[in-house]
Amino acid sequence: MNKLKTELSDEQINALEEHLAGTLKPVTPPMEVVTRLRERIHFPEPRMIVSRLRDWQRMFLVFGGVMSGMLVLITVARALFYLVRRHA
Amino acid sequence: MPDTDFNEEDILTRASQGDRDAFGLLYERYLDRIFNYVYYRTGNLHDAEDLTARVFQRAMNHIQNYTDRGVPFSAWLYRIAHNLVANWHRDRSRRQEIPINDVPVLPSKGDHPERNLVRSQEQSTLLRLIRRLPPERQNLLILKFVENMSNAEIGAIMGRSEGAVKSLYHRTLLALRDQIGDQNINLDND
Repeated sequence: MNKLKTELSDEQINALEEHLAGTLKPVTPPMEVVTRLRERIHFPEPRMIVSRLRDWQRMFLVFGGVMSGMLVLITVARALFYLVRRHA
Repeated sequence: MPDTDFNEEDILTRASQGDRDAFGLLYERYLDRIFNYVYYRTGNLHDAEDLTARVFQRAMNHIQNYTDRGVPFSAWLYRIAHNLVANWHRDRSRRQEIPINDVPVLPSKGDHPERNLVRSQEQSTLLRLIRRLPPERQNLLILKFVENMSNAEIGAIMGRSEGAVKSLYHRTLLALRDQIGDQNINLDND
């Protein structure tokens, strides 16, 4: 008798789990709640964040490109300067 | 969705360096899960909204304290949520007895309305029983069924071993079975 009280049969486990799964279902927060929360924590919308991050990556690439270009120009200028001085 | 574009480790590094946009991505990624957890623990939409906001505000203020020592970021967030919900219950019990309301109905993901109606009475009763369980047992059931987590993941959040979670789950089912016996819930298959 005691054993029956402290043990669950497979059928009981399955039935309980089925009831629990039917009751505890993921819910979708209402859109107005999501919007209010975002405003409250001052987060921009995800698409804005992504575009900003992409802009930041683009800026980094542009900056890297400009610096590399300048390095090439300086090297060429130095080489020319060296050659001109040598001939003069 | 930004989820596909960014690696969580990178986002966490940037967020912990004070990058609010990076934290914004974490917020988008975990909002639904934290809201679900808080919603089922509080049983009302208004407090769920307020507490969810506070979870993310607290996480944002302390993210530099988060270090990945085998505990995933989600577990860290759930612990914050758990602490805030526990404080909320404590404050409420000081002011007044908590009315055991049914959790208000929000649209479930992928649910069929007719099935919802048929089961609503049974579900309300079961929800009442769940909300009478000790908090750690409620946590376990919410994480298992709402968040669909494994025992190991639940253990990481609750600070217990996988075996301890399994044992707690078994005891919780036993307790529920005994309580269901007093209610009109049919445990035979539908």
